[in-house]
Amino acid sequence: MASLVGIFAASHGPMIAREWDNLSPPTRAAVEQGFGRVGQRLTAARPDVLVIVSTDHWVNFFLNNYPAFCVGIGAEHDGPPEPFLKKVFDHPVLAGHAGLGSHIMITAIERDFDPSLSHRLTLDHGFCLPLWRMGLDPIPPIVPIVVNEVDDPMPTMRRCLAWGSLLKEAIESYPENLRVAVLATGGLSHFIGEPGMGQIDESFDRTCISLFERGEPKVLASTLEDAVRHTGNGGHEVRNWVVAHAAAGNKGFELISYAPLKEIYVGCAFAEWRLAA
Amino acid sequence: MRDYWLNKLFFDIQQPALAAEYKKDRAAVLARYPMSAALRRAVESDDIAALAPHVNAYLLRFYFAICGMKDAEFIRRLNELPGHGESAEKGVSHHG
Repeated sequence: MASLVGIFAASHGPMIAREWDNLSPPTRAAVEQGFGRVGQRLTAARPDVLVIVSTDHWVNFFLNNYPAFCVGIGAEHDGPPEPFLKKVFDHPVLAGHAGLGSHIMITAIERDFDPSLSHRLTLDHGFCLPLWRMGLDPIPPIVPIVVNEVDDPMPTMRRCLAWGSLLKEAIESYPENLRVAVLATGGLSHFIGEPGMGQIDESFDRTCISLFERGEPKVLASTLEDAVRHTGNGGHEVRNWVVAHAAAGNKGFELISYAPLKEIYVGCAFAEWRLAA
Repeated sequence: MRDYWLNKLFFDIQQPALAAEYKKDRAAVLARYPMSAALRRAVESDDIAALAPHVNAYLLRFYFAICGMKDAEFIRRLNELPGHGESAEKGVSHHG
C-alpha cells in the first residue's frame, strides 16, 4: 500500500521569479532558506509521487466553469505559462501520476465528493514556483489538486478539512507500494489587485500559524472561515494548508520559517506537519 | 456587479499573441468584447476605479501588469480607490 511520507507547506508568489535578480539580500535569503529547508526535508522523505494542492490563478479555469476542486489525473501536465517563470523553470511538461490521481478521483466519488477532473492541467506558479526554488532533482511525478481560492463562492474551511481527510484515506488505500508526499502552496496573507496590495497582514499570519501548530481542526476551520474574510484576497490560499492539515491527521505542524516579505507582497511561511501514526 | 466580457478580456489577454495584438490595435480587440460603453471607456482610459467593481482582482492585476503599468503606479491607484480605508482595515484587523 502507499504511504504518506511527508506533508509540507510553502508560500508562493510570482514576484519571487519576476524580480529574483532585484530582490534585496534579506528577502532573497529568507526565500532561499525557507524553500531550501522544505526542499531538503522533501528530498529526505524520498517521495515517489508528490501531491501538490494549490490555486489555479486563472490559467485552467474561467467564469464559464470554475470548479471548487479539481484533481489532475493525467500522465502529463503542462509546465508554467507565465513568461517570467518559464525563463527560470524550463519544464514545458511535467510528469503526472495517472494511477494515484485516478485513485484519488475514484475514492472521492465513492465518498460522495464530486470534484472536477482534468487529464492535463497547466501548472502555473502556484505549483511550479516552489518546485523551482526547492530544487528537487529529479522532480517526482505530480498529482495536482486545484482548490478554488480566487473567486467567490469558495469551498468552506470545513470542506477543505474533509478533503484533507479524504486525501489521506485515498493515498493510504492506493494498492501500489508508493511513497507519497503532499505539498500545500500559497498564503499566507497577501493582497492582489485590491487596495492594500503590498501590505502584509501579520496578525492574520500569526493567527494561522498558531492554529496550524495547535492542530485542533474545528477551531482552525471556524476561526479561518471568518479571518479570511477580513484580510487580503491572497489569504484564501490558506485553504490549501487546511487540506494538508487534515491529510496529516490534524496533528499540527512545525513552523520552519516565517517572514513578512513586503518586496514580494507575501507573508511567506514554510512548515512541515506531524504525521498521524 | 461582475461583467463577463470585461473579465473575459482580462483573462484572454494572458495569451501573448492577444497581448501583442492589443498593444498594436486596442480598438480592434475591444470590438470583440461586447461590454458596455461605460466599461469600454474605462478600459480605454485605464480607469481602475471604474473597472475594479466589475472584474476579479487577480485579473485586474494581470491586465495592468501585461499592459506595462509599473507596480508602484498600480498600487498607488488601488490605494486611491473609494472605500480604501475600509479595505485597509482588513490588513490590520485582529484575528482569533
